Amino acid sequence: MLCLWILLGLVSCDKSVSETVIEPYAPAKVDEAAGSWKTFIVTNPTEVVVPALNSDAAYKKEVDSLKAIEITASQKAAVLYWGAGSVLRWNEIARELAARYNIPPAANAAGIYPVPDASNPLADPKFPFANPPYTARALAYLSVAQYDALVSAWKYKYQYNRPAPSVLDASIKPLLPVSTLPAYPSEDAVVAQASYVILLAMFPGEGPFLSAKLAEAKSVPIWAKTNVNSDVTAGANLGAAVAAKVIARAKTDGMSAANNQAIVPDLILHAKSLGFTTVWASQELPARPPMLPNYGAVKTWNFDRATLESIRPAIPYLPGSEAFNKDLAELQTINKSQTREQAAIANYWADGPGSYTPPGHWHRYACEAGIDAKYSEVRMARMLAYVGTALMDAGVACWETKYFYYSPRPQQFGLKTSVGLPNFPSYTSGHSTFSFAAATVLAALFPDRANTFMANAQQASDSRVYGLIHFRVDCTMGGKHGKAIGAFAVQKANADGAN
Amino acid sequence: MKKLFTFLFCLLGFVELKAQMPHDGIYMNKKLACGALIYGNSSWTNYWENGLKRDNPNIGRLTTQSVTAMIAYGIKRDLNVIAMIPYVKTDASQGNLMSQQGLQDAAVFIKAKSKTYDGITAHGVVGFSVPVTNYVPDFMPMSIGLGAKTLIVRGMLSYALPKNIYLNSSIAYQVRSQVKADRDAYLAGSKLYQTDMVAVPDAFDAALRLGYLKKDNQLELFAEHFSCIKGDDIRRNDMPFLTNDMTMTSVGIYGKFQPKSVGVNARLAYVVDGQNVGQSTTVSIGLLYLFKVK
Repeated sequence: MLCLWILLGLVSCDKSVSETVIEPYAPAKVDEAAGSWKTFIVTNPTEVVVPALNSDAAYKKEVDSLKAIEITASQKAAVLYWGAGSVLRWNEIARELAARYNIPPAANAAGIYPVPDASNPLADPKFPFANPPYTARALAYLSVAQYDALVSAWKYKYQYNRPAPSVLDASIKPLLPVSTLPAYPSEDAVVAQASYVILLAMFPGEGPFLSAKLAEAKSVPIWAKTNVNSDVTAGANLGAAVAAKVIARAKTDGMSAANNQAIVPDLILHAKSLGFTTVWASQELPARPPMLPNYGAVKTWNFDRATLESIRPAIPYLPGSEAFNKDLAELQTINKSQTREQAAIANYWADGPGSYTPPGHWHRYACEAGIDAKYSEVRMARMLAYVGTALMDAGVACWETKYFYYSPRPQQFGLKTSVGLPNFPSYTSGHSTFSFAAATVLAALFPDRANTFMANAQQASDSRVYGLIHFRVDCTMGGKHGKAIGAFAVQKANADGAN
Repeated sequence: MKKLFTFLFCLLGFVELKAQMPHDGIYMNKKLACGALIYGNSSWTNYWENGLKRDNPNIGRLTTQSVTAMIAYGIKRDLNVIAMIPYVKTDASQGNLMSQQGLQDAAVFIKAKSKTYDGITAHGVVGFSVPVTNYVPDFMPMSIGLGAKTLIVRGMLSYALPKNIYLNSSIAYQVRSQVKADRDAYLAGSKLYQTDMVAVPDAFDAALRLGYLKKDNQLELFAEHFSCIKGDDIRRNDMPFLTNDMTMTSVGIYGKFQPKSVGVNARLAYVVDGQNVGQSTTVSIGLLYLFKVK
């Protein structure tokens, strides 16, 4: 019997998985001057008007009304959850949605893969298929909208200088740390409403889910007694107006033509004209059309089209050449004797179907670094905007490269994979481009951790060789490309007035 | 799907197919041992993606082969210990997913029985299994196992009927540990978990067996049901995962022929219904050797 209890203890210790809890914190710096930081879409921070304050008497009445508020345990849990950071939480929500929607459509009975339909998002296949390019783009627009809206919010905060309720009336005991940041408009409401608008546009089937998150996020500043209703209303209106401007760019950035399959025959002819005798072919059964063959034409953030073409990685060796055979031999060795460590690295970075994709992985790393540095909301959004736009630029430029060369995957030369094979051309590696672009931005913003970020990017890049779905050259050239792409974001960040 | 195999083989299958299995009513006499070497082959082409039965041309037929070394030993005539360890290999006949292989989970069972009243005997079995190699648990359906430590507690009643016929019913609860996955985030249900620890749901199984047993020879028909107590479903066109709520009902036939110290056994099982599992057909054949321990 004793034996039995020991055994029970061994297996039944804790059935619920515990995740890292992020505690609410007061920012290390409130970034008073953020209202003058350079934005991405909004041309000046007062482009959207936030109405002047009510009378002091009216505000005092609003503050007094907070005193009667008593909250339930679940409302308190919501306060602690959102108190860790609005930008952080909406980024996490976006990553969760990306993971839920990141599944390639199934073929129908006729062997055809139906295209997800934005006007019927919950049908099978669901819209969107949140693959890495889609997710990179969704997160970029989310972060840009949050950032532009917060810069504007900061401008008004210091223009109107409304003290927080607990500053005005010391008998108010807020449930979250309060800094010297003026209260009007509520930054949490700004972020909530802007995020809601962007995410609903990106995940149109998630209206009820997002509405519930929005309602909770906008209630939290009241429950926590850190804002009054007029702060929240003004913040939500500002967030919505800025997000509408950001969405206007998204509607015209070329994404609607990204899955234009009509261009594929010409892409193949072009690759053959470059000397590729074997070009990429889908290895799925039935053959699946290539993922987003025209995503390379989508508008970039931090450099123009001429630059995109000028930094495109050079043509790789051609199948059958000596250099090609050397890289193929490396893969053949791994195919025969993959080590457990190689498998673990390949799996860790796989970020395949059902995950938040490599752009999501890097947004997570970025959020964790921002939390560790106790960033203010506006600085967190700024950091994510540069990381996010660099990731989207990496996606666009990498996809442009992939379809420019249309090069074959290792599986067309008899190799298996331990991670699953993406359905698009090989050269260059998306993981390598995404990872080095993001790591370059993060290394510039967090110089103390530069080595770690670059080492992570290198491991993400190597993981695609270990997982047997990329040739070495795909990864080394993709990595270089990613660094150059990240450098454009860094250049822009260095000139935005925040440093 | 591999889970399916793993479970089927390790938790249910192996148990069934031995001479003295953790869940049969047969015992080794004191100081008598039975060693066995069993080859198993389980495969499917169709599986249940949540409740949708489908095939997958990018997998084709998924085959899990195993070789299991097992020993049962009589501590007393009503108290036996059984230990086993399988080597498992998976292969997909189509697509490009890499085959996986290795030693899987070692298991030890202790089995005891009551006195017999009116032909009814009660049995209790406690077993524990633990992965013996660091195989990849979250590359399903190619992984060779789930990677979880498992505690199995089984209650069993056997009824001796006339003419060497017996009826055996059993029910077991399986407590399963969390698993450390290679990835650091995963979806379970609609929630994104940002950790590498994955909770594999507990499970139960129940079985009914009707057989003929004379001396050491045996022929048996059985029906088994396996079900997780909770878990999520495979999303549309997604891969299976450790958190899935796997359910399956199988039927089969088992036989053992042991004229002397050397014997053979064979087992055939077929999954008739399920959810989040492959519809597998499992065949195994074992070589048995009885010997006295001094």
